[in-house]
Amino acid sequence: MKNRETYKIEKGLDLRMAGAATENILDFVLPDRFYVRPGDFRWLMPKLLVQVGDRVNVGAPLFCDKRDERVLFVSPVTGTVRDIVRGEKRVIEAVVIDRDPDAQTEAAVEFEMPADGDTVRKQLLQYGLWPCLRQRPFSVIPNPDIRPKSVFIPCFDSNPLAPDFNILMRGKEEDFRHGIQMLRLASGNAPTHLCMKEGVDNQSFESTENVEKHYFSGPHPAGNVGTQIHRIDPIDKDDVVWYVDPQEVARIGRFFLEHRLDFSKTAALTGPAIKNTGYFNTVYGADLSALLSDNLAHENVRVISGSVLSGSKLEMFPVLGFHDLQITVIDEGGKREVLGWLLPGFKKWSLSRTFLAWLTPKRTYNVNTSLHGGRRAVMMTDVYDKVFPFDLMPLQLLKACEIKDIEQMEALGIYEVDSEDFALCELVCPSKKEWQRIVEEAMLEL
Amino acid sequence: MNIFLEQSRRDKTREAQLTPHKAKPQYGAKRSNALIDAIDTFLRTPATVTDGRCHVRDAVDMKRIMITVMIALAPALVFGWWNVGFQHFDMIYNGGSIATRWQCLWYGFLKWLPLVIVTYVSGLAVEVLFAQIRKEEVAEGFFVTGFLIPMIMPPDVPLWIVAVATVFAVLFGKEVFGGTGYNFLNPALLARAFVFFAYPSVISGDQVWVSGADAVTCATPLSFVMNGHPEAVPFTWNLFIGTIPGCIGETCKLAILLGAAILLFTQVADWRIMLSVFTGGYLTAAIFHVTGLCPVEAHDQLLMGGFMFGAVFMATDPVTAAHTRDGKYIYGLLIGILAILIRTLNKGYPEGMMLAILLMNIFAPLIDYCVIQTHIKRRQKAIGNNDYN
Repeated sequence: MKNRETYKIEKGLDLRMAGAATENILDFVLPDRFYVRPGDFRWLMPKLLVQVGDRVNVGAPLFCDKRDERVLFVSPVTGTVRDIVRGEKRVIEAVVIDRDPDAQTEAAVEFEMPADGDTVRKQLLQYGLWPCLRQRPFSVIPNPDIRPKSVFIPCFDSNPLAPDFNILMRGKEEDFRHGIQMLRLASGNAPTHLCMKEGVDNQSFESTENVEKHYFSGPHPAGNVGTQIHRIDPIDKDDVVWYVDPQEVARIGRFFLEHRLDFSKTAALTGPAIKNTGYFNTVYGADLSALLSDNLAHENVRVISGSVLSGSKLEMFPVLGFHDLQITVIDEGGKREVLGWLLPGFKKWSLSRTFLAWLTPKRTYNVNTSLHGGRRAVMMTDVYDKVFPFDLMPLQLLKACEIKDIEQMEALGIYEVDSEDFALCELVCPSKKEWQRIVEEAMLEL
Repeated sequence: MNIFLEQSRRDKTREAQLTPHKAKPQYGAKRSNALIDAIDTFLRTPATVTDGRCHVRDAVDMKRIMITVMIALAPALVFGWWNVGFQHFDMIYNGGSIATRWQCLWYGFLKWLPLVIVTYVSGLAVEVLFAQIRKEEVAEGFFVTGFLIPMIMPPDVPLWIVAVATVFAVLFGKEVFGGTGYNFLNPALLARAFVFFAYPSVISGDQVWVSGADAVTCATPLSFVMNGHPEAVPFTWNLFIGTIPGCIGETCKLAILLGAAILLFTQVADWRIMLSVFTGGYLTAAIFHVTGLCPVEAHDQLLMGGFMFGAVFMATDPVTAAHTRDGKYIYGLLIGILAILIRTLNKGYPEGMMLAILLMNIFAPLIDYCVIQTHIKRRQKAIGNNDYN
């Protein structure tokens, strides 16, 4: 077994956006209002376990997965359930919790030190840490009864304005190393792959033992776990691979090492419409209004949890998504330009060289949310190939997804990819298709 | 500053937020008038903002791509104007033309203008009508098609024939299959093929290629070869610069190469297709020349007729070409080979490019199918699993 391997990603692109996070740690006082959203977990059907007015402690179950009631989702803070917001068809959108003043955001838990994988899994399920894990295919919470063939820890993010993992992981190195050992137990000693960035200092991860270290170079999506799995250990229909964010690994490590349950997290505040970018410490579900409101360049902005490529727009609940590592704020577009298709376009970002912006290859762009055109049938057949580093046929796979031809999707390798792997295809599509949504809808059919 | 919605306003936005794709149908069914909408987005970029998972988008859209193709066509067109005039005056004064450059240009421009107006009016009428029926936006594909059609017609072709051909091409080449993006035949070439077969007298023979040449023979280089006079073919240099009779857009190879450079640099056209068409054509022509079947040198073959124009502007149409990368090589090679085959072996048609491209348009889906199946089989082998099927 090789211990070190380097992979070069050639296709793909880095969107050079303005507004990268500075190394400052921003002041953020924990608010009183918390929102726990089942929507953070893909395709989750929640079953409520609390009512409005209930007292909850850190680690108290709020809801569970209707299809597997062992998978619990717990409260990140101590407080009172204030409201349960429901949407269309009574879908639970959020459990609103009012934090007790001065309440701790972590709790000591008593349990026997686990000796085998079964107990580790049980503890993770019981204390609401199981949802930290995700699996491919489908990016859903894994079934506790199925052992994965490997575990992936993506140790960098290549999305636009992605945070620096060394800052995110500061002070959590020991927890991380312990978490890796616990995950190895939980996964039945499946090989664990640490995917790091080539050519940078991976100080938080280098000292980890019992793992296979891989190094990736090249543009986005080199940091996407889908790309990494595809290169290292490709999956097929019946395979399952777990992947866990390093901060979640550290959370799991701390839980077993210090018997402390805590849902704190460091994330980056980025984007061209943010006055002071930087990192902030928060707790899952915390209302970020206070952090954002004084920091916006103006009001006509879009706040995104995650990156601009595949994050989710925050409208009703200003919280960081469970798996997201950054908040990105960009200008809301929609300004109409007279004869826009004819202008030289010195400041317009495009993969093609149809705008004169190619004259300034080092420019960083103040991108906004304009669609830049009308929706059309697919006409340009080669653009997706340029940004899609998988050994798959993107155009044909996307078309199969669009018509929901399951046989063809399987044959073309749908299990290896997820919607976020098509984010760049969506970004560059001149026909303005919403490929990620199309892929997600198609995967629901499987 | 509170950018987030108050609880009381949630209900209003909830529906739109939960089902954004239902609230805003993909092709904008709310639009009531396709023509007004087309003119509106033509004048000003649309105000739509992203609604999917990807919040920023590439600034390029189909309008920009189409305008880039038109810019790439412009050098060939301007030269075409001049050449129409030049050929006309040259014929009238029998080589002793005293017309100035501007006179030539103006003459050609006036010949071209009615052609292009008729093409756009007739073609866009069909496009707008269908966009209205389907409640879609008008697709930009016809801007290029309508630009191409006059460039591949003889200068004196009757306007009503152009109109009929354009309507036929748009209707049966595109709209019946679902509109731009779903067509499998290049509409501009289909229009030319329609004229070629329905009204052969206006587009073939020796009398049509020079404006105003009634009963005066002004043969194109290709027909010299076909009629057994390869010695009458002009010098390579003239073929390259384009001071020869022919369609408006096809004669100046220098301008076409300039257009090709624009298309390739902006990454609008696929270099794989261009390269393989030229390779296929050159090799085939070389074989014919070396074996003595055809007296024309291989490089002259590529410079004659519409080969280069077809290779650069027609074969590269991404919709009707093969869609897979490997398929594009095969598609291009076969176009090159077929075009020269038709030219050399078929005594009826001096120009093979149009038919070669149209034929390969028809075969492109088959090529893609084979490439995709090969890809699937290879993947299955690599992944060691035969559970598919």
